[in-house]
Amino acid sequence: MASVDDTAVTRAAPALATTYEGDDIAFLERIAPLVDMIEISPDAIARIDGKQAQLRPEVLEEYACVGSKVRFIAHGIGLSIGSFDHWDEGYLRLLDELFDHIDLEWHSEHLASSVVAGESVGTMFPVPRTEEALDLICERVRLIQERYRVPFLLEHVIHLLPDAPAEFTHAAFLNAITSRTGCGLILDAYNLRCDAMNQGLDIANFLNELDLRPVREIHLAGGVEHKGFQLDIHSRLTQDATIGIGADILRRAPNLRVVTFELLKEAIPLLGHDAVTRELSRIRGVIS
Amino acid sequence: MTTLETYQRGLLDLVKNRGGPPTDPYLRRVAAGAEIAVVREIAIWWRTFQIESQCPLVSRVLKHYGCFNQTVTQYFDANRTSPFVEELTHQFLASLCEHNDPFLRSVSRFEQALLRARAGSEEKQVILFDRNPESVFLALEGTGILPPAEPERLYRMTVDRRLPGMFRCTREENADAGEPTAG
Repeated sequence: MASVDDTAVTRAAPALATTYEGDDIAFLERIAPLVDMIEISPDAIARIDGKQAQLRPEVLEEYACVGSKVRFIAHGIGLSIGSFDHWDEGYLRLLDELFDHIDLEWHSEHLASSVVAGESVGTMFPVPRTEEALDLICERVRLIQERYRVPFLLEHVIHLLPDAPAEFTHAAFLNAITSRTGCGLILDAYNLRCDAMNQGLDIANFLNELDLRPVREIHLAGGVEHKGFQLDIHSRLTQDATIGIGADILRRAPNLRVVTFELLKEAIPLLGHDAVTRELSRIRGVIS
Repeated sequence: MTTLETYQRGLLDLVKNRGGPPTDPYLRRVAAGAEIAVVREIAIWWRTFQIESQCPLVSRVLKHYGCFNQTVTQYFDANRTSPFVEELTHQFLASLCEHNDPFLRSVSRFEQALLRARAGSEEKQVILFDRNPESVFLALEGTGILPPAEPERLYRMTVDRRLPGMFRCTREENADAGEPTAG
């Protein structure tokens, strides 16, 4: 079983990663010297060819152009690991294809359901923190770990909707998943901030309760406020408060390997290449 | 039905604005809150953004008609929307290809044929317009007024990836003024 090493007590500065979803080779050439890793979302670089989604070969070629300079990790959107009936096999076919083309250090997914009864929700629902959901998630993590021999990480998503009746706290649910399966965690500092602003999550209590040893990756991002809610649309640069949360996790997570700045492809032309490269340099300065 | 299934099916219904008021206490609480409207708004916003970027002609026609957002919202509510943009846009356009409005129908068919040709389809398609497509496109690109239908003429748009620009238009004078249909 591929699991996260939890024995390290000291570590080097984490690597820096960012997202790249293709079609802007000039941007890729700007960011590649600034980062150690590129995060790839298989679903975001796929197109439907007939009935089945396939990775776009032209984007894979773009990754190959910088393959000697950076390493790669995969971060899925559409697995829907928390759906009551089944996950999305189509996503796993895309991931298989990605593994065939690119050496991935690990892969990850959101702890959520995006497909319900075979229908795309158009968003992500958090998984209710119940024994029933825990059993389902752990079994699926086990199947994924059997299928891919690199570590698998789960990322908590924001809770925009009121919490469903829960049998675990946020941290206890994640602790139960990681202790049962050995999978790793991504902590998204911006998601935590959203939950604090929207739902009153006590981040300090959450981090104190969470077993931080499985945390392999931190996500940083910026978003917007809409109708009084902070949204996890990664369209902005990272606010200082989010950097602060990330720095706190960074200091306390003994097995942290990478900090990833996530940005929507659609936001890159709006922010501009210069602003993104400055942001990467700023984050590098924080994590070094 | 398990609790997980009840919640997920119930939340899907709330996001899709369908089904009656929920009976489950948690789902009733969600339905009564402000959050579900924001979640729904974001889901529809993404579909709108994708459709607008992939189907500029149809989007602009619908905006000229003042019903773009409403049409996308109705489509989102009533259909299984694909997370893949190509599939979403093809299915959205397909839903308009049988629309009651013959002009919107023609533009939808034309845009769908063009998307297929750009994606590599070798199929040749003919779409009839009841007004000059060139004037239509100029109006849609700017802020001009859409030209009126020309009952005495038909415009035959041939979409074929082997053509320069992938399409060609021919005008037929004194055409038998039947309703334009795809050839």
